Amino acid sequence: MSIKYKILKAIDVAGLNFLRPVILLCYGEEPEEQIRKIGLFIAVPIMAFCLFLYLWGLFAPMHKTKSGEVPTPSVVWDSAKGVWAFHVREKNKANAYNLEGDSRDKLLEQAQTRLSELEPMVARVNEQLAEADGAMQSSLASKIEPIKAELDSSKNAMREAQKARQADLQARAKAIAADDTAAKEKLLEDYRAHLAQIETERESLRSYEEQIDEIHNADFPQRAEAIRAQSAIAEERQYLVKLIDTLENNRQQKLSDIETRLEGFESSYYEASGADLLKHAKSITRTESLMVNAADSEYAKPMTLPDQVLRSVACVFAGFLVASLIAIPVGIVCGLSPIMMSALTPFIALFKPVSPIVWLPIFFIIVGGFIPDPDKHWLIAGLAELPLIGWMKINPAFIASALTVAMCSLWPTLVNTALGVASIDKDHINVARVLRLGFWSRLIKIVIPSSLPLTFAGLRISLGVGWMVLIAAELLSSSEGLGKFVWDMFNNGSSQTFAQMFVVVFVVGIIGLLLDRIMIVFQRLVSFDESPTSI
Amino acid sequence: MHEDKYVEIFNLVKAYPNPYGDDIKVVDGFELNIKKGEIIGLLGHSGCGKSTVLTMLAGLNEISDGGIIVDSREISGPGPDRSVVFQSPCLLPWLTAYGNVMLGVERVFKHATKAQRKVIVEYSLSVVGLADSMHKYSRELSGGMQQRVGIARAIALKPKVLLLDEPFGRLDSLTRMDLQDVILGILDREKITTMLVTHDVDESIYMCDRICMMTNGPHAKVGKLIDVDFQRPRVRSEMIEHPKYYDYREQILSFLDECELEKEKIAKQKAKVA
Ligand SMILES: Nc1ncnc2c1ncn2[C@@H]1O[C@H](COP(=O)(O)OP(=O)(O)OP(=O)(O)O)[C@@H](O)[C@H]1O
Ligand SMILES: [Mg+2]
Repeated sequence: MSIKYKILKAIDVAGLNFLRPVILLCYGEEPEEQIRKIGLFIAVPIMAFCLFLYLWGLFAPMHKTKSGEVPTPSVVWDSAKGVWAFHVREKNKANAYNLEGDSRDKLLEQAQTRLSELEPMVARVNEQLAEADGAMQSSLASKIEPIKAELDSSKNAMREAQKARQADLQARAKAIAADDTAAKEKLLEDYRAHLAQIETERESLRSYEEQIDEIHNADFPQRAEAIRAQSAIAEERQYLVKLIDTLENNRQQKLSDIETRLEGFESSYYEASGADLLKHAKSITRTESLMVNAADSEYAKPMTLPDQVLRSVACVFAGFLVASLIAIPVGIVCGLSPIMMSALTPFIALFKPVSPIVWLPIFFIIVGGFIPDPDKHWLIAGLAELPLIGWMKINPAFIASALTVAMCSLWPTLVNTALGVASIDKDHINVARVLRLGFWSRLIKIVIPSSLPLTFAGLRISLGVGWMVLIAAELLSSSEGLGKFVWDMFNNGSSQTFAQMFVVVFVVGIIGLLLDRIMIVFQRLVSFDESPTSI
Repeated sequence: MHEDKYVEIFNLVKAYPNPYGDDIKVVDGFELNIKKGEIIGLLGHSGCGKSTVLTMLAGLNEISDGGIIVDSREISGPGPDRSVVFQSPCLLPWLTAYGNVMLGVERVFKHATKAQRKVIVEYSLSVVGLADSMHKYSRELSGGMQQRVGIARAIALKPKVLLLDEPFGRLDSLTRMDLQDVILGILDREKITTMLVTHDVDESIYMCDRICMMTNGPHAKVGKLIDVDFQRPRVRSEMIEHPKYYDYREQILSFLDECELEKEKIAKQKAKVA
């Protein structure tokens, strides 16, 4: 009984109330009612989503774009898997660069065996592709041949007809007397008719050509499948070659190479004498500095989508934190003092509607003013040293994006906090008055707790706004993250990158959903009255 | 004599502006002395100004004219020496029952140790019968339990004057009788000077040493004072059977009827003038 209560409570706090009927059903409470609710809150949404996927798959291929057809759900899913595989492979390579000793040898061996397994498969898929190509050519030929023959024959027929008409006109022209206006007019008319005839004939020839083009462009599923298989294997092969290359030239290998070279130089230095000494000394010192560089070197791993997601989330939280640190205190002050409220109202009204697209360039320039040379600035260098966020390479673009997020998302929190503080229950104020609480204890014990639910409602809206703003800000500022990913994919313009943009839609949506859920949990934890939070 | 004039209210006036901006004296020339340890009831028709007098005594409502002296000092503003229990419990919902009481105790007993404060809070909560629900939030408490917390919060401050504004107004009659006995028990023990605003004639006779009846507003003042001559501690069943009880009841009801008649007369006169 109490376990059931606890589960229900946890579900309620987490804002997952749609699971409630499932739990109640497990406990056998009013099964019919629970099944009806499961149908309504779980089955209906799932069916609606399936319907959406079906319609998407149905309509998407109908629209052709420069980047190929609009991708269907299955293409997007494959593309998502591809994005993930790329991430895993890059991670492995970066890891391979750091491996030493046995684990390196083991991985190298694995990669080599896999590569040797792959070789026959490469041959096979190439063969399949050639086969598919051949099949396609012959099928094309068989379809196109008759059309072409028809085209040629009608072309010839038309040419003959044209010639005949031309000759006829010429003959008539010769026969017309100089003062025979009626005959002249007739000739002109016929000549016009002749030209129009030529135009319609051309038109009909063009329709044949279009038919041929269409056949050329038509999907040939077998070949598309072969190409996909071939490129998948080629990609894996490429990856393994790179991996082996990285393993063979990783830091440890480089270091030991340099070390042997150094030893050689050193021994020849001690053997040599006279003028050669300096030359050898130079070699030694140069090799030593090479060694230091090699010891510090890292694999240059490109940002993959999961990295960019993490960086975006970090950016939105940075902006959200700044926004909260400004909005909550200012909101409290506004709520407490009508003078401050009235002083700040014009600013709120004026700046709230300003789009992030306007704020970003401004912040970009301002941040650039503070950090003229990012590579040498203490803040950037310091942030790069931090353990958990160092890899994100926080740069001025990141800071400008975060500040844009802050600027756009602080308003809901500010307004809500001010409202919460201003609308505090009169009875609670009376309690504070009777106890003669001082300003600070009144603030901490009465005002802030009573405004907390509204403040959190504001924070929740702010985080949602911030997440929307962030993607646009990153896109504009080229700060590594989801926005930049979309922009890069757009500029790439291939059908593959087109599908990856659809992947981003879902990634952004899911993360936005998760952020909102987290805020709901917080909001529930601070709400002291039983007022239901909208889900 | 100091003991007889522990609380002294003289020529108390409260003026509210009416919608046209003119001042209307809702309470006008209210005079009353309260003895130390006495329980005085404030009785009158709805809207006559009982709450106004009580909140002025609490310091939550500004005094237009006249003054109030408590323990030889004129009051200005609210303070924990005059704690109030309102009709609605108005607990802080983000604190537990314990936290609500502790908030005031921390403030009043600044120099006590933590353990001493804890004892005070726990004692006052157990006196009102909430020993088992100390750590519940107000949403988890019934209306009657919330009102008990309100009472515990008021008495824990060891106030000079306890002000009760229809503290049982929103409760059912069984809970109401229960709480009446709870408060009487505390007051008999602690001898706190108390003002009790009420609508209920029986309640005022049962609980009070003296009943102050106000005339109808505007210009409400003290209309009649009745001494309730029963020994404390009182036993409800015995009192109800006592002939004096019905005498007091009769007196109060006839005064209230008189007020009502007067009000109607004035209303008729006004209608005639109009
Ligand atoms: N803030 C205010 N502004 C104007 N008039 C007020 C205000 N507060 C109370 N009044 C008026 O003062 C009069 C007395 O009000 P009060 O609340 O003291 O009555 P009461 O005796 O407590 O009535 P009840 O028994 O219904 O609680 C009422 O007529 C009311 O209209
Ligand atoms: Mg009242």
